Amino acid sequence: MALPLSYNWRNLFVRRTTTALTILVIAAVVGVLSWMLGFWTALSGSLSFAQDQHKLIVLRQASTSETNSAIPPEESNKLSQLDREVALDPTSGQPLKSPEMIVQVSLPRMSDGGRTRANVAVRGLTDDGFKVHRNVRIIEGRAFQQGQLEVIVGESISRQFIGLKMGDTLDLGYSGNRGYKIVGVFSAGGAPMESEVWGPLTTLMNAYQRNAYSSVVLRLDDKFNAADVIRKVEGPTIQLTAQTEAQYWDAQAKNVRTYLFIVSGLVGVMCVAAAFSIANTMYSSVAARSREFAMLRTIGFSGRAIMVSIMIEAVFLSVIGGLLGCAGAYIYLQIMGRTKDMFGASTFTTMAFEISMTPMIVVYSLGAVTLVGLLGALTPGIRAAKIRVVEALREA
Amino acid sequence: MTITYVLMQNLKRNPLRSTLTAVAFALPMGIFVAAISMVVALIRISESNQQELRLATHHKTTIINMLPEGHRMKIEGLDPDRKRIRAVCGMRWYGGRVPNSQTVIQSLAADADTFPIVYTDAGMTPADTEAWMKDRTACVVGYGIAEQRKWKVGDRITLDSSVPPYLKLDFNVVKIMRTESRANVMYFRRDYLVESLKSAGVEGGLCNIFWIKCADVPSMRSLQDDIDSSFANSPNETKSEDELAFAAGFIQGMGNLPGLMQAMAIVVVVIIAMVAGNTMMMSFRERSKELAVFKAIGFPSRRIFGIVLGESIFLAMFGAMIGIVPTVILLISFPLRQFGFLPIASLEVSPMAVGLSVAIALLVGVAAGLWPAYQALKLNTVSALRRA
Amino acid sequence: MSSADIEIKKLKKVYYKDKMEIPVLAGLDLSISAGEFVALMGPSGSGKSTLLHLIGGLDTATAGSVRVGESLLETMSEAQLTSWRSRHVGFIFQMYHLVPVLTAAQNVELPLLLFKMKSSERKERVKTALTIVGLGDRMDHRPNQLSGGQEQRVAIARAIVTDPDVILADEPTGDLDAKTSEEILNLLNLLNEEFGKTILMVTHDPKAAAHAKKTVHLEKGQLEREEFSNRQPMAAAR
Repeated sequence: MALPLSYNWRNLFVRRTTTALTILVIAAVVGVLSWMLGFWTALSGSLSFAQDQHKLIVLRQASTSETNSAIPPEESNKLSQLDREVALDPTSGQPLKSPEMIVQVSLPRMSDGGRTRANVAVRGLTDDGFKVHRNVRIIEGRAFQQGQLEVIVGESISRQFIGLKMGDTLDLGYSGNRGYKIVGVFSAGGAPMESEVWGPLTTLMNAYQRNAYSSVVLRLDDKFNAADVIRKVEGPTIQLTAQTEAQYWDAQAKNVRTYLFIVSGLVGVMCVAAAFSIANTMYSSVAARSREFAMLRTIGFSGRAIMVSIMIEAVFLSVIGGLLGCAGAYIYLQIMGRTKDMFGASTFTTMAFEISMTPMIVVYSLGAVTLVGLLGALTPGIRAAKIRVVEALREA
Repeated sequence: MTITYVLMQNLKRNPLRSTLTAVAFALPMGIFVAAISMVVALIRISESNQQELRLATHHKTTIINMLPEGHRMKIEGLDPDRKRIRAVCGMRWYGGRVPNSQTVIQSLAADADTFPIVYTDAGMTPADTEAWMKDRTACVVGYGIAEQRKWKVGDRITLDSSVPPYLKLDFNVVKIMRTESRANVMYFRRDYLVESLKSAGVEGGLCNIFWIKCADVPSMRSLQDDIDSSFANSPNETKSEDELAFAAGFIQGMGNLPGLMQAMAIVVVVIIAMVAGNTMMMSFRERSKELAVFKAIGFPSRRIFGIVLGESIFLAMFGAMIGIVPTVILLISFPLRQFGFLPIASLEVSPMAVGLSVAIALLVGVAAGLWPAYQALKLNTVSALRRA
Repeated sequence: MSSADIEIKKLKKVYYKDKMEIPVLAGLDLSISAGEFVALMGPSGSGKSTLLHLIGGLDTATAGSVRVGESLLETMSEAQLTSWRSRHVGFIFQMYHLVPVLTAAQNVELPLLLFKMKSSERKERVKTALTIVGLGDRMDHRPNQLSGGQEQRVAIARAIVTDPDVILADEPTGDLDAKTSEEILNLLNLLNEEFGKTILMVTHDPKAAAHAKKTVHLEKGQLEREEFSNRQPMAAAR
């Protein structure tokens, strides 16, 4: 037979200060935990939208990112050797190849009112770019036109940087003195490309005095395997390097992952500390109630029922603390801003993330903290179950 | 026997609780000392950098866009009498990569003549400067990199570049820089890079940044405006900022780890305060009668106050020690410098950080013990004794 | 060996509970001469313990006067009372109230920590006190290694180690069996007769009261009656 839940619930109020302090410890840990889970979710969400297995990013040999890669047009011509493997444009019948150029522009962050700036990637592309990057859709306004001083901005950065709204003018070019009108906003389904500004390739190359592309992005024919094509790209006749979109962004996210691993480690340590704190509270609760437990044993409750009861109390503590922590993190994100941007590993440009308190994160956080509560209550529970009835009743 | 002894015995009374508290206190304290180490190290570096009175001038749009090397003369021309400017050193990012690896070393080509003046914190002795000026392939390396790559003075090293046109260059190590602020950077002569670039058929006379050593703070502030306005409306507009602001931009870009660490440190202090406070409340509650006996025997209230407070402080200090000591040993034996870039690499334990951590633990110990100790002070002997 | 007399005049004590006045002592007069052993009896709530606490300076009176030896308690501040207590009063409680983490000797030594005294002298006095109560061989035992009677003896040793003028005992045998009670009471007789201590003992056990020279009965905060026992001094019995 089990003890009624109201018994556990009321017991928490008997030792009000201790309960409150323990809940606050848990809340502090869960606050950080849920923020971290939110960041992980944002990162993996972003990367999961950049998993196109038939999109190949061709770079100069030994380059690690588009930022430090340069492919002169004559070298990119060598890619015509891949015409068999590259998918054809159904309308023009031409192979789908998108030569692209990446530069940076330093823009003020919205989150701190423009006090600090971050490097945002500006990508120049031809109209073929939209056919190669299939997941890109214009969600507001229209696409830029080649030869015009026009750009479109990614949905994610348009929310995170000042001056990136429809109709705004963005100063670009090597000297940064030519205004480009923002004529549209695009979505890439949440992929990292949403952290970019896109504009016409030739115009931008001239504006930045560039005579080489940064990369050439290919759309592979479904019949071919990316790994085989990559081997051909890196072979003696082409001598460039290539990565699938997934590989490329995975490598760029290395920085963000290192950062998150550090946070995870810290949160892990804090969770252990929280478990110890719960154990401490439950032990003292068990000690103070040993006669009560002895009484419960005499009237016929099993040791197991008492142990379960202690565990339930710990879970109550954890869940209340957990909810409080999630609420705290939510309020923090509301006040301090939900956006977080970081350099990619070797792009020197920003990857922007938006951290949200989704129901899933709350569930995960509560799950984790329940586990912590159960762990912390395990040994006190065993002790409570093993209380010797006669001795405890005799105790003063 | 002394009061201290009585106090220590009290902690042994409930060894389980004392242990649980100490561990719950120690773990966050370990985080705290690491977090505060990073914050302290960065503050110290930025402070020492600020004393260097250096101004960074780079392209207005982004540091990736390069400025012509002629900007140096134009900047020097703003102060022909050399009242405000000590020296100007142009630099270009080389991004040297260890051959056959993905390890990129923070490496910059710097104007040979002015480098020793602008970077006084590189600690170039006259002999070092002579070696640097004599050999075109000379390079100076921070001790962080040198330790990690096992380079020493006199070594010939080869690096690939990670930026176009990906020049492979040989260098001669002439000095290991021993200052914390220069631990993870390498400098070599820009004339060497320019010459190599020219022979590769690439235009070489470009710089990412000009570092300007100023005479004093007012000069630095006035130069900041003068430089930027003198290049305004030219094809190569500039933005000048002091070293602190310049570094802050990078740290932000790396996810603002110091900011995170600061936040963590605050959360940790909240946690340990709760943990310690909780234990002291529990301990006091169980012992109120005993404390009443102490009073009846004739112990003055302030001594009872001291006993309770002392116990809290001792517990906090003990928890702090078992958290701080292993973390510090760990950080000293496995320096994070090997992970390369700022700001993780700057996480170095300093006496200041340890002192700060101990001080925080002490403060938390006092804060956690204060309320129970006050209650002990106000304890009504008669009613405490009556409570069966 | 010091001892003091106690004189109580028109002593009043009123407690307040939820703004209700609860009179506990209502103008009590009582005098106890130096070296007397007095038992204090009366039903629950008659004010026995309160009187004991007032004489010990643990509590302050609403009105009236308490003089112990040369000290007028109502003129003293709380800090003065505390310091006075450490020199002149020894307390014995029903539940012994020993510090569980300290040994018998350390428990007895506790009050001596309040005096400027050499460690060797402290040890000497602790040893003497424990020998008097018959526990010279149990110095290093912890309270949980002692029987109830032995624990109370340690508590008595703690009460006498400072050589106080007055010993105040609150139901010292309330938690002990008859035989052990008898031993403890004999010990109190010994302290009273051999060392001349003034002892005031609250009890509701007539057998315990019989050990005292005089029994004072309280009723509703008033002195009801005093009676003198015909008990022979231990020395004579021996």
